[in-house]
Amino acid sequence: MLQLTNLTKTYPTPQGPLHVLDGVDLQLAPGESLALMGESGSGKSTLLHLAAGLDTPDRGDVIFEGQSIASLSEPRRAELRRQRLGLVFQQFHLVPSLSVADNLTLQARLAGREDTDWAQYLLARLGLAGLNDRYPEQLSGGQQQRLAIGRALAAKPRLLLADEPTGNLDEAAADQVLDLLRELIEESRCALLMVTHSARVATPLDRCLHLQRGRLAEADP
Amino acid sequence: MRPGTASPGVLRTTWLTLFSHYRRHPGQLAMLLLGLWVASALWSGVQAINASARDSYARAETLFSASLDSVTRRDNQPLSLVTYLSLRRAGEPVSPLVEGDLTLSDGTSLRVIGIDPLTLPGESGLARQQSDAASLRDWILPPHRARIAPENADAARADSRLPPLEADPSLPPGTLVTDIGVAQRLLGVETLSRLVVAPEQSLALPPTLVRQSAAALASPGQLTDSFHLNLTAMGLLALIVGLFIVHAALGLALEQRLGMLRTLRALGVPGHTLIIAMALELLLIGLLGAVLGIVSGVVLARLLLPDVAASLDALYDTDVASHLSLPWYYWLGGLAVTLGGLFSAGFGMLWRAARLDILALGKAQAWRARLHRQLRLQAGAGTVLLGVALWLGWRLDHQPNPQELALGFAMVAALLLGASLWLPPLLAGSLGLLSRRLRSHPRLQWALADLQLQLPRLQLPMMALLLALSANLGVGSMVGGFRLTFLDWLDQRLLADMYVRPPEAQYTDVAAWLEGQDEVQALLEARHAEAPRLDAEGQTTGRTLALFGITPAPIMRQSWPLLDTATGHEAAWQALDAGDGAFINEQLAHRDGLAPGDPLHLRSPQGPVMLTVAAIYPDYGNPRGEAVLSASHLTEKFAATPGSLGVVLRPGSRDVAGLQAALRERFGLGGDAVVDQGAVKRTATEIFERTFAITQALNALTLAVAGLALLTTLLAQAGARRAQLAPLWALGVSRRQLIGLQLGQLVSAATGTAVLAIPLGIGLAWALVAVINVAAFGWRLPLHIFPSQIAMTIVLAIFVAALATLLPAWRLWRVPPRQLLQEFAAI
Repeated sequence: MLQLTNLTKTYPTPQGPLHVLDGVDLQLAPGESLALMGESGSGKSTLLHLAAGLDTPDRGDVIFEGQSIASLSEPRRAELRRQRLGLVFQQFHLVPSLSVADNLTLQARLAGREDTDWAQYLLARLGLAGLNDRYPEQLSGGQQQRLAIGRALAAKPRLLLADEPTGNLDEAAADQVLDLLRELIEESRCALLMVTHSARVATPLDRCLHLQRGRLAEADP
Repeated sequence: MRPGTASPGVLRTTWLTLFSHYRRHPGQLAMLLLGLWVASALWSGVQAINASARDSYARAETLFSASLDSVTRRDNQPLSLVTYLSLRRAGEPVSPLVEGDLTLSDGTSLRVIGIDPLTLPGESGLARQQSDAASLRDWILPPHRARIAPENADAARADSRLPPLEADPSLPPGTLVTDIGVAQRLLGVETLSRLVVAPEQSLALPPTLVRQSAAALASPGQLTDSFHLNLTAMGLLALIVGLFIVHAALGLALEQRLGMLRTLRALGVPGHTLIIAMALELLLIGLLGAVLGIVSGVVLARLLLPDVAASLDALYDTDVASHLSLPWYYWLGGLAVTLGGLFSAGFGMLWRAARLDILALGKAQAWRARLHRQLRLQAGAGTVLLGVALWLGWRLDHQPNPQELALGFAMVAALLLGASLWLPPLLAGSLGLLSRRLRSHPRLQWALADLQLQLPRLQLPMMALLLALSANLGVGSMVGGFRLTFLDWLDQRLLADMYVRPPEAQYTDVAAWLEGQDEVQALLEARHAEAPRLDAEGQTTGRTLALFGITPAPIMRQSWPLLDTATGHEAAWQALDAGDGAFINEQLAHRDGLAPGDPLHLRSPQGPVMLTVAAIYPDYGNPRGEAVLSASHLTEKFAATPGSLGVVLRPGSRDVAGLQAALRERFGLGGDAVVDQGAVKRTATEIFERTFAITQALNALTLAVAGLALLTTLLAQAGARRAQLAPLWALGVSRRQLIGLQLGQLVSAATGTAVLAIPLGIGLAWALVAVINVAAFGWRLPLHIFPSQIAMTIVLAIFVAALATLLPAWRLWRVPPRQLLQEFAAI
């Protein structure tokens, strides 16, 4: 489903070029869940941004469902994200001026396939039923992160890309969010690539890889 | 649909999501609309006044000035029918005209013009509608017909004296045109006011008659151009200040929506779709603001137009309709200016949003990091503009230029814009400097550092405040200086205690009687004439010059102000007395480049006359060039008609009322024929005050707009400010102290702005009196600086800042500690 080939990314710094990714190869099968671990600054988020088409590699390619993302124009990459990917961020990035219900269905509406029953089901499963008319600032951190996951899944993506989805939550809330995420992934038969620095978060997933100095290594979760 | 092209659904959802920001922050939307509304309302109001006045001028010009030459008696008395018939019998193609004022039964005053359609030259606006036989018959046969300006049609129809009426939109307001016989009956005269002739026709006239070329008459449009240009300049200033609010509101909305933009891009909204949605949002807001503004502008113009019409009538003797008449392009122009202004203010926002890296989109810090680069750029651009202003100022002061007025306004614009661009770098520099020196005062140091953080948001309203304050000071100094000079000049020119304007038949008797009165110290005779200008070779230039005759009595010599002479004050008066010298007004000297010592060639009834310019005198309020000769020489050489008699009373016998009563009793002089000096001064001062009432009203409105800009910016960022103030509150600074700190921050920034506004305002005042005034009116005023106005500028700045801080401070005062605690916890 997702194939990263010889992925390389370098950033210029005052101290010289910084090789964030150095020939990374990775494959993800449909329905598979993969944890990508590494220290801060190891390039995890950069890899996720490249996989989502938010950024382009210096060398190498990102192939999603047989299509090279790196060679696509900016509007085509946007279309791909809108129609086939779901993104969950550590900082939630909810739209503060939209209600809970509108935030949840935002991507589905952008993709042109809003499914009211599915949205209602997600709201109930995420424990947000009855909060439809509230605004993000009126929710707790855990509720906001669950809403962000709901927004990504409401558009029924083929691949969910999650960047430290529990990084801002306490342990109990993090466990609750992760359990929910896994269950919903299975229900919607969606693949998951999750970036985390926590072994406890990575353990329940199908596979775990470690990113170190821009290169990937199999890791023992 | 092309692959990768976003569907209308994506655009719609994106647009709704973007707009949801304003649903949650209606204050920001209100600020945007307020800015647009104010900018558009003031601009549209001024343009509505100008458009209506120009419509009236255009109608007046079509009727007369541009088309027909006039023939009148040299002594300005009415023409008899015999004179007209003898000219016609001699084959001269003249046509008779009767003019006069008629008061209708409801009190409306109409200017009645009687024409003879059979002899009237065909191209004139007057003749236009009697071209076919049927309408000609209706016109000349009873019950006759009359054409009237549509504005007066209803009132006129109620008057039984008038013939059947047709409303004619091409006539100037307050005008009725009818057959000459009907006009004579309505006005109760048997004489003719003047004869008219097509400009291309040559005439052989007896010496008692004089022909005045249509081209030599300044049209009302030309005369009033400067007045309207000044109004436009004030409207433009208000538009710019209003757009500052718009720019500030858009910048704030963009900064607060950066996270949303990033999220939308991450969720698959293409960059161009986002820009289209933002542009659509701007368009919608712009249309709403423009409609609100134009409607309010029309209401404002309706309120101001009667005063403007009265001023124009008093200043230039032009009839302007006191109700609005707006052409279609006015509405389109208002819409275009508002939308153009909005897009120029919003272009930066769209440009920055389009260029930002998707991964950096949400990083508000990146904007702050750019502040220093932005300040450097602003200082650079400001320096260039100030350099341009200085260069233009030097050039206009040293080398007269036909494009002076436009260049003068360009200089003022460069000066104001350059100085306002320098304001944020100066404020930032001062804050940085003070902040380093106040390390031992942590609360003050925090306040200064915090003010630096607020600078990106506060810089635009502060720039607007700077413009408004300096305009207030500059225009205030100009008007104040003008008032002083004008009143002084009135005192110098109005030497007599009383002015008598007897009919020509009684003139000699009245003069003799006055000279015989014990209390009369001197009698100052004044006469008027006109003479064609000649060039050095004695050829006609096509221009006529108004001539004014005065009595060079000792009292006149002591007081009459002279700006420049060839060989001294006394020699100038001797030349005038001897009859070979003339004084010219500043307007004539400026427009024709004349200086003392230069020759002035004129044609008199006896032939060419050459006079030497002996002196230049100030002549405030006169739109035309004029020359002064001694009254005796003016009568002798130019057959001047008697004008007024200025009566100077002996000191200690100032019984003006008694003398007035005696004149009325003995000669039957009443009404306007005898006026005392006080009445003349009162009228002149009233005209003066009314002329500048609108300028000062617009000026005050601009200052109010700048205050609103500051208030709306503070209100819009009040929520974010509380989050910044919460840590300080948590560290032990009470809410009262926090409010004090905020007030202190704004008042110091406003005081700094006012300090910069002082030299800028003085510069503006100089530009107005030394460049704009000379170009627009032909006279230069001395520059007056009033310390009280400088003090008022600082007080106003502090007042505006304090007023703008009041509401946010009150809201902060009402925030419960629990909410501050939550905001602190959320950081």
